[in-house]
Amino acid sequence: MRNFFDMMMGKAGVVLAAVLLTATTTAGAVGIGADANDRLNAANGVTIQVRALNKRMSDGQNVRFWVWCAGGGGMGMGGGCRLGGPTLELGVGQTANVTLNMMMAPQEDPPYQGHTIHPHGLDVLQSEDGVPETGAAVLGDNYSFSVDSRYVGSHAYHCHVHTVKHLEMGMYAPFVVKAVDSSGNFTNVINSGGPTYDYDWNILLSTVDPAYHTATGDSTVFADYNPKYFLLNGNEGLSKAAPADTATAAAGKKVAIRLISMQSVNATFEIKDAAGANKSFTVHNKDGFKLPSAQTVTKLDLSPGQTADVMVTLPASTGSWYPQVTYKNLRDGGSYSNGTVYTRLNF
Amino acid sequence: MSARSVCRALARGLSFASLIPLLLSAAATHAASYTLYIKAGNWTVNGAGGATLKVWGYTDVPSGGPIVPGPVLESQEGETVTVTVYNQNNRSHNFVVNGLTSDATAIPAGGSRTYSFTTSRAGVYRYGDTLNSNINREMGLYGALVVRAAGGVNQAWTGGPSYDYERLWVVSEMDKPRWNDVAGSGGTVNTSVYKPNYFLMNGLGGFDAMHDPSSVLQGQTGKVGLVRLVNAGQFDHSLHFHGNHFQIIDVNGTRLSSSEWGDTYNVKAGSTVMLLYKLVPGIYPMHIHTAQMENANGVYLNGVATLLVGQ
Repeated sequence: MRNFFDMMMGKAGVVLAAVLLTATTTAGAVGIGADANDRLNAANGVTIQVRALNKRMSDGQNVRFWVWCAGGGGMGMGGGCRLGGPTLELGVGQTANVTLNMMMAPQEDPPYQGHTIHPHGLDVLQSEDGVPETGAAVLGDNYSFSVDSRYVGSHAYHCHVHTVKHLEMGMYAPFVVKAVDSSGNFTNVINSGGPTYDYDWNILLSTVDPAYHTATGDSTVFADYNPKYFLLNGNEGLSKAAPADTATAAAGKKVAIRLISMQSVNATFEIKDAAGANKSFTVHNKDGFKLPSAQTVTKLDLSPGQTADVMVTLPASTGSWYPQVTYKNLRDGGSYSNGTVYTRLNF
Repeated sequence: MSARSVCRALARGLSFASLIPLLLSAAATHAASYTLYIKAGNWTVNGAGGATLKVWGYTDVPSGGPIVPGPVLESQEGETVTVTVYNQNNRSHNFVVNGLTSDATAIPAGGSRTYSFTTSRAGVYRYGDTLNSNINREMGLYGALVVRAAGGVNQAWTGGPSYDYERLWVVSEMDKPRWNDVAGSGGTVNTSVYKPNYFLMNGLGGFDAMHDPSSVLQGQTGKVGLVRLVNAGQFDHSLHFHGNHFQIIDVNGTRLSSSEWGDTYNVKAGSTVMLLYKLVPGIYPMHIHTAQMENANGVYLNGVATLLVGQ
């Protein structure tokens, strides 16, 4: 960890040059879904900015988000930036070089000013953990860390300043650790020693209480969470006809679906076919760690902060399936109005 | 009086000298015999956003006020535990150890009842009042029973995983305006509405729990802490650990033959979990990952949070 000004004076040339990034590639696999062209190799030097993004929700209400951007979002607005992105990827044994540039970042007043990047699920040194209360800088920082093969799977990164608000504001995105070959290229295994996949699809879960987006500081608004919008990859998907995200893969192939829970209520993931019948899938990792034995199920519960890597083999004939998430309240598991969010997987 | 109760009493401002008679009493009494008193009183969540809440709780101090959660009951595998409960509140209550006792008979105001049971399996158990549509429990009538391996060895159970440190985390929540204020004043709670605004770790807000020696998992780097978790609330608590992944070894008394690793575990309402966490160098938070549950009436980090400290 270095402070932002040292970074600007020292590694700035390297960092700024690295802003012109291209999407990562994984040998033997194709990235699909909303972030297919928005995945960055954290080892290549990534500069993350924060921008405000106004989003019109399905009922016509505008909600203001704060989103991560990589080398975009000029003039302080969110142009080119996406709620729930960009995805960061890191190979086992490689060193992340991620810089948070706070220029023009929207933020709160003290004591909750600034932002950090917390690599959620990656067990890093305290100095790289992005927690202000344990010493993290909030006005810009460089994060450097590496992980071993146990971490091959899904994680996240999010701001850890006044998390009750900043996470809600949209400061979250996937962080995926990938196995590498002898040349350092990403390989398409679901975990270390695990099966291969042909496609991978990151699906980030989140919820929105609009009141949290306008309240600041310590407010009794933050004592009561009433989510109104339910998202997958930053979008509402209220029906199969209007999914939050659509991905396309070849029939008969294996798709890895990475589920990253940044919502503040419980959730259940399912895959259904066009007739509404559940399709089984296999859970390989939870919280980015390989399960003692893979589990084939038709439903998977995900609580706030959890992740899971699942795989499904598509039918040999063409069609569409509908991976979907039902958000549930914390008391009795009851569902919310508009609380089921659909995606579509075409094959 | 348990060591934990001593720490809590000291934290609440009682002098050590005042506790000496109680400590001597505890030393002279077998640990598996307890007397609890059910009382009405107040419980304060300290720090910004904090408040004094009306509660009903158990205590093991005859002249003391209610403690939230109630005193830790401790036992070893195969022991017989006897608990005598005096109801000193003005309404009926009961005492049930989830998974160990089934006598849910109401103890009338002013009455008492004695329970005796054998703790054959090591683990952690939730005890509390099962009456009155969760109101009695929400008001503070809950606690934990810790059953250690025979002989007091540092194993989760005889022949089970070893540990170097142990912590008990009882998580819960309270809805002050709609439940505690109403029930504590003799009113009728509308149980269909539950919007808790206080979220507790061992009865404390995060500001206290991050400094509470009984809550903070602190020790030598590389050593293993056994965390016994009890969710005494009505909400699920999704707890996120920084610094290292943990290993789940027991859920609701079911021992896992092959352990699952994680950094976030959803401790379901009413459930218990045991996990192992190996300390790494540094100071890391353990906190709930659920919006308002990090707060005390909206004040950040005075909710369910504590620290993991490797030295």
